Amino acid sequence: MVQLTLPKGSAPKKGKTWPKPQGATNLRQFKIYRYSPEEGGNPRWDTYWVDMDRAGTMILDVLFYIKNNIDPTLAFRRSCREGVCGSCAMNIAGQNTIACTKGFDELPGGVITIAPLPSQPVVKDLIPDLTNFYAQHAYVQPFLKTVTPEPEKEWKQSEEDREELNGLYECILCASCTTSCPSYWWNGDKYLGPAALLQAYRWLIDSRDEATGERLDDLEDPFKLYRCHTIMNCAQVCPKGLNPAKAIAKIKHMMVERVS
Amino acid sequence: MSYGKFTTPAKNARGLGSAKSGTEHHIRQRVSAIALIFLVPWFMFSIINAMGAGMEGAQAWAGQPLNAILLILTAGAAIFHMRLGMQVVIEDYIEKTGTRSALLILNSFACIALFVTVALSVLKLWIGAGA
Repeated sequence: MVQLTLPKGSAPKKGKTWPKPQGATNLRQFKIYRYSPEEGGNPRWDTYWVDMDRAGTMILDVLFYIKNNIDPTLAFRRSCREGVCGSCAMNIAGQNTIACTKGFDELPGGVITIAPLPSQPVVKDLIPDLTNFYAQHAYVQPFLKTVTPEPEKEWKQSEEDREELNGLYECILCASCTTSCPSYWWNGDKYLGPAALLQAYRWLIDSRDEATGERLDDLEDPFKLYRCHTIMNCAQVCPKGLNPAKAIAKIKHMMVERVS
Repeated sequence: MSYGKFTTPAKNARGLGSAKSGTEHHIRQRVSAIALIFLVPWFMFSIINAMGAGMEGAQAWAGQPLNAILLILTAGAAIFHMRLGMQVVIEDYIEKTGTRSALLILNSFACIALFVTVALSVLKLWIGAGA
């Protein structure tokens, strides 16, 4: 549903300004979204000064610098720190991406804001609740479905057919695309969103999968699929350089193909 | 549709299930857009030309059979396309089922009324020119 203003109690207020690290010559200002359900109250923007000479090279390093040196209560998710797990997806300087592969050299000038992924409930600080996102991923049944008895050894696939999966299988489910999509902000309860639809297409186009028709049946819906209005935020923000909008357009082509 | 706090995430994601529709809407929107690619430039070019000859010149232009047919086709494609587009906008932004249904019906009525008005006006000029 469209909400042009934040719900009551959700608008971030000005928070605490933490002291500058002493002796640092290369300081950079970061404004970070803070919210704690235990403390209650509105979320707030806390200001931190980071010594960029000691912080490393990536935004995830900045978060560790803050947690280790300034404020140990800052909460964020991370695991692989190399762009494989998708845990550290957040909104950095106004754009969704994963903190571990976002380098200092890619940052715009001025104060850098870091906030949780937009439009999702916040568990704490930079940690969003992605329950609905995962349930929508499960809805597209992202696994091989066949009716032919399983071969003794393996399901075979030609090299050309395997190449069809390039640009699709690399998705790490970080939710950067889905939570950057305005159509998902308004209708995220019904629209499956770019990440789930990219995975849906990954299985629709798989030469080994035999459930193409059933998969299309489950997607053919004015809201589940057709809420994509080719806004392209998904392709703009994908930290893996994938293009969910293109995959969705291809699903629409398949839909047209089976009726005409 | 929203559920209580004990419903599972899968229940929410599945919702009311797939409506098994939407493809027709998608095709109609694309096809009417293709028609408009040809009709709109013709319309713009012709209307600017016809306006040079004043009110009577414009009436005479619209009264010619080919122009009248193309005018009705342009209005038909444009209003049909507009109805489909407005439908999507209403579905996007209005969540309340009752309000949404009312606006969707109003959208259809308004578009049909607009088309009938334009078509009859052009027909009047066409028939008037022949008399």
